[in-house]
Amino acid sequence: MKTHKIISYRRLCKGLAGTGLSHYILLTPKAKENK
Amino acid sequence: MNNTINSTDSPYANTGYGPHFDVLEVGLLDRVAVVEPDTAFWALVERDALPDALSGSLVRDFRKQSEIFAREMNHMRFGLTPSAVYFNPTERCNFNCSYCYLPEDMRRNGKNMTTQELEDALARLLSYFRGHLPEKMRPQVIFHGSEPMMARDAMFAGIEKFSDDFVFGVQTNASLLDDEAISFLQEHEVGIGISLDGPKADVADLTRKNWNGTGSFSHIVKVMEKLASYPAFNVIATVTKKNVHALPEMVDFFAESGVGMVMFNPVRCTRQGGLELKPDDLVLAKYFFDALDKTYELYKKTGKKLVVTNFANILAAIIGPTSRRLMCDISPCGGGRCFFALSAHGDLFPCSEFIGFPAFKGGNIYEDDIKDVIASSAFIETTGRKVEDIEPCCSCAIRHFCGSPCPAEVHSLHGTMKAPAPYCRFYEEQVRYAFRVIANGREDAYLWDGYKDETEESFCWAG
Repeated sequence: MKTHKIISYRRLCKGLAGTGLSHYILLTPKAKENK
Repeated sequence: MNNTINSTDSPYANTGYGPHFDVLEVGLLDRVAVVEPDTAFWALVERDALPDALSGSLVRDFRKQSEIFAREMNHMRFGLTPSAVYFNPTERCNFNCSYCYLPEDMRRNGKNMTTQELEDALARLLSYFRGHLPEKMRPQVIFHGSEPMMARDAMFAGIEKFSDDFVFGVQTNASLLDDEAISFLQEHEVGIGISLDGPKADVADLTRKNWNGTGSFSHIVKVMEKLASYPAFNVIATVTKKNVHALPEMVDFFAESGVGMVMFNPVRCTRQGGLELKPDDLVLAKYFFDALDKTYELYKKTGKKLVVTNFANILAAIIGPTSRRLMCDISPCGGGRCFFALSAHGDLFPCSEFIGFPAFKGGNIYEDDIKDVIASSAFIETTGRKVEDIEPCCSCAIRHFCGSPCPAEVHSLHGTMKAPAPYCRFYEEQVRYAFRVIANGREDAYLWDGYKDETEESFCWAG
């Protein structure tokens, strides 16, 4: 991709978007089940 | 003669029915960014290819996807329902940090929830969340404060009782974490966040100290080292004038201690103490990016990441708007719509930053239906705050990578939420840095592990 003059891409959340928190990224096994 | 011309076939941006593509300098010699602000669409374009970006196949391919992009943004911004609570089990704190967002009197003399009150609140929250969350999804409760460990017994009782119902986290100053508490929290898979503002005592203890003015740096470091390998552990450093210069050194310090995730949060100016400690935006940018550069070098050299999660969120906001985890950098922000805050009196606010501002109390958990509180005017003012209604955000190309945070802070400073972020300039520079990271193909070094697994590519264009 580095050799292209124009690049663009976008990714989509597979799980439920917007379920993150204002201060946290919770990565306990339980939280992972939610993702 | 058929003169019918379908105007929507135009290959041009910026005229007629074409999309609006803003061109941004991002600090690269050979490239610029092109952004369609409303859909948060972006492209990185070599300078001599700008004419091709503004007309032709990129425009056409964007137009084919633009409705999907717009729907994503609309859902992110307006279609979500609460899935988390910031729960203050006590008003009290054993620390008197210089920039605390809670009033001093509250922290000295305030209320502790009893075990019964705490369990009652959790039961009411559970009933509310089960009313709309998918069956297998556990809502999140972050015990926050003040210092939640000052209500240790009640808090631990609640965690024990509701262990299968919620994903719990605790944000603590760590001074009251002993081995027994750490074991309990780990056994119950509670996320643990501690606060530490520097790589050495003479920096960290400047702003974070007890009521006698004494800091706890060495104890907190011992706790940090015990927790470093725990997967749900992170450190928050609040960045002020006093420690901004130490950000690069903090990267080495945290990395050597085995920490994997930190936040370098610019101090909120919601209260006078925070405002007096606000670092200059460009000074903050310089040291913040020096620190980020260090995390990249660390990753390149050792394969280990120190993820600065507030920056990672900005990067995620660009690469995949729906993949962001933190909800401060979007408008409306997450307050009152993705999460809300509960005080030790049971009062409900859109976010912890509003606790202590009675005008933003939407109701009480013991007296009111939470659904009614979410719909209250106190909440609606926050959940209705959008960049489209703020100058200069309404015409800013990066308005959906920044979101003009934070409504509590802005309202406290200006008496209205319809004003821009106090860190506007810093956010601009973060977005420029993020585009440079993307241009250099270095995203992986800055994003949290599992990012690629949680997301899928929905659009890719190269030409």
